Amino acid sequence: MLTEKQRLEKIFRQEHVDRPPCICPGGMMNMITMELMQECGVTWPDAHLDAEQMAKLAMAAYERDCFENIGVPFCMTVEAEELGAEITLGTNVFEPHVVKYAIESVVDWEKLKPIDVHAGRAKVVLDAIEIIKKRNKTVPIIGNLAGPVSVASSVMEPVHFYKELRKRNEIAHQYMTFITDQILAFAEAQIKAGVDVIAISDPSGTGEILGPKFFDEFVVKYMNILLDGIKKHNVRTIVHICGQMKSVYKELSKIRSDALSFDSIVSIADAKKNLPGRVIMGNVSTYALEFAQPEKIASLTKYCVKNGANIISPACGLGTRSPLKNVRAILDELKHLEGEGGL
Amino acid sequence: MAKSKEELLEALSVCVVEMEEEEVVDVANEFIAEGYPAFDGIMDGLVDGMNKASDLYDEEEYFVTDVLLCSDAMYAGLDVLKPHLPVDAGGQNKPKVVIGVVEGDTHDIGKNLVKIMLDTAGFEMYDLGRDVPLDNFIDKAIEVDASLICMSTLMTTTMEGMKIVIEKLIEKGIRDRFKIMVGGSPISKKYTDEIGADGYSINAVEAVKVAKDLVAFE
Repeated sequence: MLTEKQRLEKIFRQEHVDRPPCICPGGMMNMITMELMQECGVTWPDAHLDAEQMAKLAMAAYERDCFENIGVPFCMTVEAEELGAEITLGTNVFEPHVVKYAIESVVDWEKLKPIDVHAGRAKVVLDAIEIIKKRNKTVPIIGNLAGPVSVASSVMEPVHFYKELRKRNEIAHQYMTFITDQILAFAEAQIKAGVDVIAISDPSGTGEILGPKFFDEFVVKYMNILLDGIKKHNVRTIVHICGQMKSVYKELSKIRSDALSFDSIVSIADAKKNLPGRVIMGNVSTYALEFAQPEKIASLTKYCVKNGANIISPACGLGTRSPLKNVRAILDELKHLEGEGGL
Repeated sequence: MAKSKEELLEALSVCVVEMEEEEVVDVANEFIAEGYPAFDGIMDGLVDGMNKASDLYDEEEYFVTDVLLCSDAMYAGLDVLKPHLPVDAGGQNKPKVVIGVVEGDTHDIGKNLVKIMLDTAGFEMYDLGRDVPLDNFIDKAIEVDASLICMSTLMTTTMEGMKIVIEKLIEKGIRDRFKIMVGGSPISKKYTDEIGADGYSINAVEAVKVAKDLVAFE
């Protein structure tokens, strides 16, 4: 019998396993629901600020048979906030989000202070990882980061940022280099605190927004700098990119993560065909997870497996109103398929 | 030698397509200096260029970053030409549209794109921005007597807000005064129907067609 950690590691090594693991990394890929908060007595927004509560809520998603990992934090604003953006912590339904930017233009990047990982919510995340690490030996712990383009476009107004990629190209690269260094510092601190896997979500760096040229120039380049820095520490990596991939498969294939994850607009069969040899994670519709019935989730899960997804996960962050019976239906179905020997 | 009207219109259009935010100002000034009507410069020059940019976006030759820069060029040209419009030129029959990203979400790239496209297509836009309190959609729509309310979100956690706006409109007995269009990556045609919205579009180009159909505007 494989532990959750062993099964996931075998997947990264592309070895044979009994069945695909059921993973929801956290971060942008939210795994927390209101029902889960009620069941374990820890709620947002408090859990964003307190390591003990963050750890408890994160572990609840595993303990209550939703997913086979434990992940923190529950948002993608930690990096941006530590870099000076103003955020609201949201509510028990809404995730934290940026309300005021730190700078107006890429030319102001030198005014930004480097992230202090031992202060603020960065420290909350690191402490939560240490708590989880002490209490769990067999479950993979996933530390989450916002990707370089997403952090860069959270510290300043995204519309200005996107335009300046072209208009102030050289300075935009300096800014991106600085941002990537900051994210890497947070990643290294998470690794030191004990994560097994780092998941990076870069929803603002999509092929649809940037097109192939800028996707290559800004997403692929800085993501790989970040990944290379993380890999030195022998930690596994997952990269999640949002949106349609058709125009950027060639560029995407250069991203050096252990696994690639997509949202529900991407066909897993298509991704497998266009990204040969890669570990693919995905992509049970979060819309279905919130609004459909468990039977539908089971059939979507089966469909992902059939199409070759190596890791089964929600396609995006869960809506907090998703019923637990739906969320649990993914793992239930995977165990059921294993029992049937249908894998 | 002075350029012909056609040459200048073509130049305005090309400036927009090629994102020439500064050159477009010079061309627009020259167009006015030659005594040509500002309205033609807008419609057959700037808007023509923006429509071409939108076609290129539809064909996946252009991407969001490109369209944003094209629209900057268009607005730079508009700033020059608009003051020269006759006082009563157009305007009265423009359908009014209230647009925003629903509460809890700040992702507004898609919304901005739809706003630009609808603006170009001749709609009068009232942009509430992002993270918009739900009541603001209703208050603004009543205030300006809007034909259309457009709501967008990129997050599953916030899509419920669209449904709540519609429910509030029903409660107030004014649902039928407005058409409602929704969009954003977690939104589908199915969700649109479930919450009782009138229209859904998968992208900003499609949004123009849907909006025109909804309010019967050409």
